Amino acid sequence: MSSLENNSVPASEFQQNLTLLRQIYFFSGLPLETLKVFAYLCTREKFRAREFIFRQQEDDGQAFYILEGQAQLERTVEGQTTTVRSCEIGEFIGGLTLLGDRRRLFSLKAVTETTCLVLNREKFNKTMEQFPNLMIKICKAVAQRIDTWEQRFLADRVDQCGECLPMLGVTLI
Amino acid sequence: MAEAEIPIVKRSLFSWIFPGNLKYQLLLLLIIVIMVFARVLPLEMQKRIVNEAINLRNIDLLFRYCGLYLAAVVLASGLKYLTAVFSTLIAQTTTARMRKELYRHILTLPLSFFRDTQPGTVVNALSTELTLPGNFAGIAVASPVTNILTLLAFAGYLFWLNPLLAGVSLSIYPLVLFLIPVLQRGVNRANKRRVDAARKFSARVAESISGIHEIHGNGAYRIESRKYDKLVDRLLRIRIAWSLYRFGVKGVNNFFTGLGPFLVFILGGYLTIKGQLELGALVAFLSAQEKLYDPWKELIEFYQVYQDASVNYKKTTQFFDVQSDYALEPRDREPFELDGSLEVKDLSFVTDSGIRLLDGINLSLKAGEHLALVGFSGSGKSTLALCIGQLYKYTSGSVMIGDREVSALTKKDMVNNMGIVAQSPFIFDGSIEENILYSCQALANGNEQPSKDGVPTLDDIIATLHQTGIFVDILRFGLNAFLNHDKNEDLVEVIIRVRKNFQRDYGADLADYVEFFDEDKYLYYSSVDENLTFGTPNKEQFTEANLCKNEYFLKFLDQADLTRPLLSLGINLCRQTVDILGNLPPDAVFFKQSPIRAEELDEFKVMAMNLKKKKLHQLEAQDRRRLLDLALRYIPGVHKMVGLSEILETLILEGRALFREKITADDPDAFSFYQASEYIYSQTILNNIFFGKTKTSSSQAQERIDQSIIQLLIEEDLLEAIIEIGMHFEVGSKGDKLSGGQQQKLAIARVFLKAPRLLIMDEATSALDNKSQARIQNLLETRWKKKSTVVSVVHRLDTIKNYDKVAVMKAGKILEVGTYDELMSRKGALYELVGK
Repeated sequence: MSSLENNSVPASEFQQNLTLLRQIYFFSGLPLETLKVFAYLCTREKFRAREFIFRQQEDDGQAFYILEGQAQLERTVEGQTTTVRSCEIGEFIGGLTLLGDRRRLFSLKAVTETTCLVLNREKFNKTMEQFPNLMIKICKAVAQRIDTWEQRFLADRVDQCGECLPMLGVTLI
Repeated sequence: MAEAEIPIVKRSLFSWIFPGNLKYQLLLLLIIVIMVFARVLPLEMQKRIVNEAINLRNIDLLFRYCGLYLAAVVLASGLKYLTAVFSTLIAQTTTARMRKELYRHILTLPLSFFRDTQPGTVVNALSTELTLPGNFAGIAVASPVTNILTLLAFAGYLFWLNPLLAGVSLSIYPLVLFLIPVLQRGVNRANKRRVDAARKFSARVAESISGIHEIHGNGAYRIESRKYDKLVDRLLRIRIAWSLYRFGVKGVNNFFTGLGPFLVFILGGYLTIKGQLELGALVAFLSAQEKLYDPWKELIEFYQVYQDASVNYKKTTQFFDVQSDYALEPRDREPFELDGSLEVKDLSFVTDSGIRLLDGINLSLKAGEHLALVGFSGSGKSTLALCIGQLYKYTSGSVMIGDREVSALTKKDMVNNMGIVAQSPFIFDGSIEENILYSCQALANGNEQPSKDGVPTLDDIIATLHQTGIFVDILRFGLNAFLNHDKNEDLVEVIIRVRKNFQRDYGADLADYVEFFDEDKYLYYSSVDENLTFGTPNKEQFTEANLCKNEYFLKFLDQADLTRPLLSLGINLCRQTVDILGNLPPDAVFFKQSPIRAEELDEFKVMAMNLKKKKLHQLEAQDRRRLLDLALRYIPGVHKMVGLSEILETLILEGRALFREKITADDPDAFSFYQASEYIYSQTILNNIFFGKTKTSSSQAQERIDQSIIQLLIEEDLLEAIIEIGMHFEVGSKGDKLSGGQQQKLAIARVFLKAPRLLIMDEATSALDNKSQARIQNLLETRWKKKSTVVSVVHRLDTIKNYDKVAVMKAGKILEVGTYDELMSRKGALYELVGK
């Protein structure tokens, strides 16, 4: 019995998800009890090459963690599409989407066949309703992330900013 | 019906005793009078049996008197039973009437009342607190009349026998009458203190348990124990006092009633010895004396019920004694037909605590114009919409719909002219169809008996489903339904045809999203039992629910070496699922990916606890069956808390071949195996079309599948049939089987179907995806403009361009009103809000 119960069974998808979530800034501060629920609720979705994972202007209400493959972020303005950057394995995209209704400012398109870990807003909200005092942890993690982003930007890129200089200061919102 | 006019909260407890129960109560009185006579008769018979029959040794007399005695006893018992029947009838019907009236009253109370009232309080008031007052109404006549009459009859009889003896033995009662209420007051006081202390006590325990981390963290066991001990000691003292008082009441009562026979013996004995009293009379006297005790006890009990009932009744009615803001229906006229124009002047809304949520609002809309209310959350948009819709009672200023002041309109006037889609719409338990027709039926039925008038036709409904975009959702519910052997034969044939076309046209394209049934492959999106049997059971004993009780199947599992590995899988599933979901509420979102159903969770929690203490072979047969059942439900592609080992997969696949071999030999009719040419009744319509199961829940894949299926259904003219099946889908309590978007679309559909003259939409599309939102916006602009006035609270600014007017709100005031273009070119508040 023990041989079937323990060793020969590969780590379940749930356990793998749990390990992944603990590495994502958005979730890592949460207690294990809550993380388990998220790890359980996450699904894995496969996208074909050139398929959109989400589209600009739409509110798909999902956050993605890229498990396999490669995707690219695009922005379309007046019919002109520009590639913003590529997203690689291990990248977490869309934490803010979980926090409230918002339309995508970018599109994410699979470059090769891409598998993502997906959590949607409904599951996120229903779970957070069960742990209302943890919302502040998530808010703090997001605020910290924005702060780090701007610090890094100010340190590395501010000299290339040019006309965009007056738009700096997202951390002051 | 004069009494119907007085709301229940203004009625006294006594007003429930006769109105509505008059016939029963009068009948009861008549029965009681006869019964009391039948109770006294045996006493007289007793005396005559001793004095006349026995003394004179007359057998005939003995038989006659004994016969009369027996008849009286039978009659009295029968009538006693009858009074109980009538009392119960009165008590139950009165409780039911109280419940109905209170509920009707509660439903009309203003929304503000419910903000401060827990649903539990209402449930409690309706269920438990009215029971005692109802019971009181049942015995209010019967008990005092029976017992006082009986007492008087017995006392009268005693006086008739011997006035002196009667006077002496009855002299105890006035004393008891004085003492009991005094003691009862003590009981009541102690009881109140006990309830308070018990409440504090449970609050303390609840607090300690929820703060157990902190207690452990600080090692504060002693501190918590001391706090707890103090409360227990206090409760102990109060409970002792309470019990002592209670026994005091009983004791005093028993003592004094016990004293009665003593007095009779001493005085009666003396008189009999002296020859002043016959022996028969003394026997009768003793019996009558004894019989005084029961009615006396019942009277005291009645007194206690009365006390408790009036406390409960008063508490309940006082709690709900809140004025409803508006009359339900106009008294002396038909409900108004309003024209839909809207005029808001100097409107303010101030909360009880003095916060000004709306401040001097002025607005004007012609009938058929559309207004968008925008602004940050908290700016008062929703409050304004709800004031216009009469859901909030504004505190000053005026709102006129069709030149009539909203605060002076009845609810019926509003309902006939207005439709509202709330921010988080409420969906009631029932089918989709019932929910879609909710507004229309409420409109058609008003407050009278339900009727079928004014219910839209199926065509109207389907049109609305299309317009609001819930059509596809309902189609999906239909596709996920199961067909019945007998009822749907025609449909079955068509679906087989659709299956072939699906394979031909879309099979290759959708192969990534669908796992087709294949006899030689493990199906990761099917349960273990489906993988094993690979067929539909035709016999009751082989259905999924019965499989684990089926000896034949259990024997097969043994033969296939599957019993232990499956049990072990069941244990693993139970442990993991309970660990993840153990403390979550029974929401569909949490249980969709779980092999344990929400209603079974508690049972498996207990099982998981037991599993910690026991080994597999120590489990009881019943537990083994439950675990096996759980394992058979396991779908590796969905239930991700446990992985499927390769060994088990191989064993199950081998088991499939073995099972088919065995069952074909032993019971060939037991199963219909999956075949591309046959309909599978144990699978949904959709799975039948696929001849497989969907692998993904991604919305894009879903959409692609939907498109191809709709195409196929249109070709076979099957769409409407499937929609009708989908309309019967049960949405679950509070609609919890629907997603937020589906709930919102349903709420919009039900109001659109009603087609009111004034439509209020309070962030009605917030949970919808882009396409659905655009569709509804488009519908408002094309179909509703100039026909219905629309006030729409909008949270997404890209939908407001085509509104006739846009009002921007901030901190309860309107900053600016105008068309979108006007406001944008003014570069004021809207411009800033849009952020361009």
